[in-house]
Amino acid sequence: MTNSVYLDNAATTPLDPRVLEAMLPHLGHRGNPSSLHTAGAAAHEAIEEARESVAALIGATPEEVVFTGGGTEADNLAVLGLSRAVGEKRHVVVSAVEHAAVREASRNLESSGYEVDVLGVDETGLLDPEELAAALRPDTALAAVVWANNEVGAVQPVAELAETCAGKGVPFHTDAVQAAGRLQIDVAGVAASTVALSSHKLYGPQGVGALYVRDGVALEPIVFGGGQERGLRSGTQNVAGIVGFGAAARLAQAELEERSRHEKELRDALISGATAIPGVRLNGHPEIRLPNNVHLSVEGVEAEGLVLFCDAQGYAIGSGSACASGGHKASPVLLAMGQGEREAFSAVRITVGKENTQQEIEGFLHTFKGAVEQLRQLSPLYAN
Amino acid sequence: MAYTPQVIDHLVRPRNAGEISEPDGVGESGHAACGDVARFTVNISDNVIREVRYKVYGCAACIAAGSALAELANDQTLLNAARISRSDLEDALGGPLPAGKEHALTLVLDAMHKSFEDYWTSHAEALLSGSFEEASAESGKSVVAAMSGGVDSAVTALLLKDAGYDVVAVTFRLHDGEKGSRSCCSPDTVLFARDTAHRMGLPHFTLNLKELFNQRVMQDFVGSYAAGQTPNPCVACNAHVKFHAAAFLADRLGFRHVATGHYARVAEGPSLARPEDSTKDQTYVLWPVPQELLGRTVFPLGEYEKTEVRRIAEDRGLAVAYTPESQDICFIPDGDYRGFVRKNVVPEPGEILDKDGSVLGRHAGVVDFTVGQRRGIGISAPTPLYVTEVRPQSGQVVVGRKKDLEVREVRVGGLNWFLDPSEASSVQVRYNGAPTPCRIEEDGDAWIAHLEDPAVGVAPGQSAVFYTADGDRVVGGGVVERQGS
Repeated sequence: MTNSVYLDNAATTPLDPRVLEAMLPHLGHRGNPSSLHTAGAAAHEAIEEARESVAALIGATPEEVVFTGGGTEADNLAVLGLSRAVGEKRHVVVSAVEHAAVREASRNLESSGYEVDVLGVDETGLLDPEELAAALRPDTALAAVVWANNEVGAVQPVAELAETCAGKGVPFHTDAVQAAGRLQIDVAGVAASTVALSSHKLYGPQGVGALYVRDGVALEPIVFGGGQERGLRSGTQNVAGIVGFGAAARLAQAELEERSRHEKELRDALISGATAIPGVRLNGHPEIRLPNNVHLSVEGVEAEGLVLFCDAQGYAIGSGSACASGGHKASPVLLAMGQGEREAFSAVRITVGKENTQQEIEGFLHTFKGAVEQLRQLSPLYAN
Repeated sequence: MAYTPQVIDHLVRPRNAGEISEPDGVGESGHAACGDVARFTVNISDNVIREVRYKVYGCAACIAAGSALAELANDQTLLNAARISRSDLEDALGGPLPAGKEHALTLVLDAMHKSFEDYWTSHAEALLSGSFEEASAESGKSVVAAMSGGVDSAVTALLLKDAGYDVVAVTFRLHDGEKGSRSCCSPDTVLFARDTAHRMGLPHFTLNLKELFNQRVMQDFVGSYAAGQTPNPCVACNAHVKFHAAAFLADRLGFRHVATGHYARVAEGPSLARPEDSTKDQTYVLWPVPQELLGRTVFPLGEYEKTEVRRIAEDRGLAVAYTPESQDICFIPDGDYRGFVRKNVVPEPGEILDKDGSVLGRHAGVVDFTVGQRRGIGISAPTPLYVTEVRPQSGQVVVGRKKDLEVREVRVGGLNWFLDPSEASSVQVRYNGAPTPCRIEEDGDAWIAHLEDPAVGVAPGQSAVFYTADGDRVVGGGVVERQGS
């Protein structure tokens, strides 16, 4: 579909042409940033400049930024690396609405003998800070709560959660992959030990991420080798990717307010247009949500057909959870919010970006309404 | 995971979507509680599908498969529609579905087949009420073959096809079974049998005989036990259900023959004869098949050894769902038939007597006892005790020594003769027993068999089957009646 309208920005964002331009000189690279010669030094300088930009986006110092091979790797490094660095403690607390990168890493800990407590959420996907406080124990090695959920866009009270953990001396990790570039992130105001970021969710290239590691926090590496990234992530850096991430971070910082305002307008138009269709309901909190996230349950229809139908009409949207849509498994996030399996299978995610327009939203709503009607006519479970 | 353009096309431009308002048949498959649901409605006349409509709730694969199937089946003869296989459907959808989506094919096929099943049910009033009479059968080399999902019936259909017959496979839905259980006729087995038939390129139908089977076989089974008899449910099924149902379908389709995977032969007369493989001989349970039905029956396995049948299945790549052990009762897969009977009748405690009428103890219900039984009597004695008689009226169970079980006379009622009774020269009274030489004499509605040697453990309710002097042919059979009744 040549003229397709892209409304799946939570899955990945299109590469910003200005970012591509910044990357191009580095795609024909010669230098390894660890080499002593001039070419190596130039590559080194480029990634250090990117490090400054990424650090600036979240109010950190460059020394606190470790580049990784993506958001998932950053989450894995935090969850495994923090818990392994605190000695004999064998208790971990995570929320029920973590991205799979944190959820599966905590399961890995569980299988090697850790006790994992999963904190529930309310029907809007939000965590109660008091529940976290009650779950912490003297042997808690780590607590992890996502900054903003990738499915329903629920924005957690991370400042309060991080404060609670800091008060008890428990390392706190937050996955800010969806939040960065959309919400103001300042590690001066949020006492997190580690924060995971990803480049391709803010118009940078895929395959690059970063972990913010607060100065003084003990972290064990999970990748071993030449000792790059202060020994926390060995392996020659992805120079062009990191440069792209840096450029994307600079743009995100400069344009954050404008993007956020624009996305919110589109989001709210989508919400009011879509929920006007009978039997279509908004999931998550009406206000405490990412500025670009719309998550809907469509009664009587399964999401997959809806997504493919819209796709055939030129609109790319996501089903319930992009990661879960490969297999017939209900989203754990929606189940944690108290939904049934059927409801969970009827969920679609529409996430706008800076390039979308009001006109596209209107066109989409028209197509969406038609798709819902046609699939409901096909459904033996929906009384028309 | 990526779908073919055909899947997307069926999704966006569905064919034959919707529902017929007053259909000849409705079928639904899947579970509404969670997961996919497909509903087919059909109009059928003169064995041609005049109209087909579908509705699907589920993933894109299910929706597209529904559309593709409805398009394939529309305007087809019923036989051609019943032949559409998973692989035909896959071809119509432009190739294999992504991994994990293959169930879509089974779902929509099952829904359409259930609409056919519903159509047959609404035309089978006489069959289902037990008053079925055959229509004048057509000529020609055409056969309806009963297929249970097991190796015997699968090979039966294959041999008939090889022999040049037009074959239609039919599976009978007899009882609810247990999902996942490997007993025949359970819901999973229907799917399996259908797939097996389709792999051979045969049309497949399912007939819902649950009500008939419940009345004529399961209730009869429970009632017989409660009446102190030892019923044989396979005999009851052959007498009232299986052959009649196959003949019903044959008549509706204009087919001549019916076939099952029994090990037996049809000899001239027509009469019933023992099969090639004497260890699998099933003539003992086939005696009640009415002679007119036997006359149009084919038993291809009568010419084969079981080991050959297994080898044919292996050589020809037939997967088989289960391997029936003939003594299992299909609707009691766990083998606990006492438990089954107890679920259906309230047992009443009573006395245990010896043959002189002295009370030896008490029991919890006559349903727990059958003539010849040694275990579970609950009375200790210097020599082993056997149940020699069950008296349901008085709730009494009579026990005695092994010698007390011996009889020289067996009274047989409810007879079905294939040959002249005078040809009877031996009688078999147990499934795995050997025939005992006998002389028979008519006695009112029943016949008395005078045995040359005493027989042990002849239980009322069991079958007594008479064989010719050469031991090869069944003269007729009936049911052992209570002594003195």
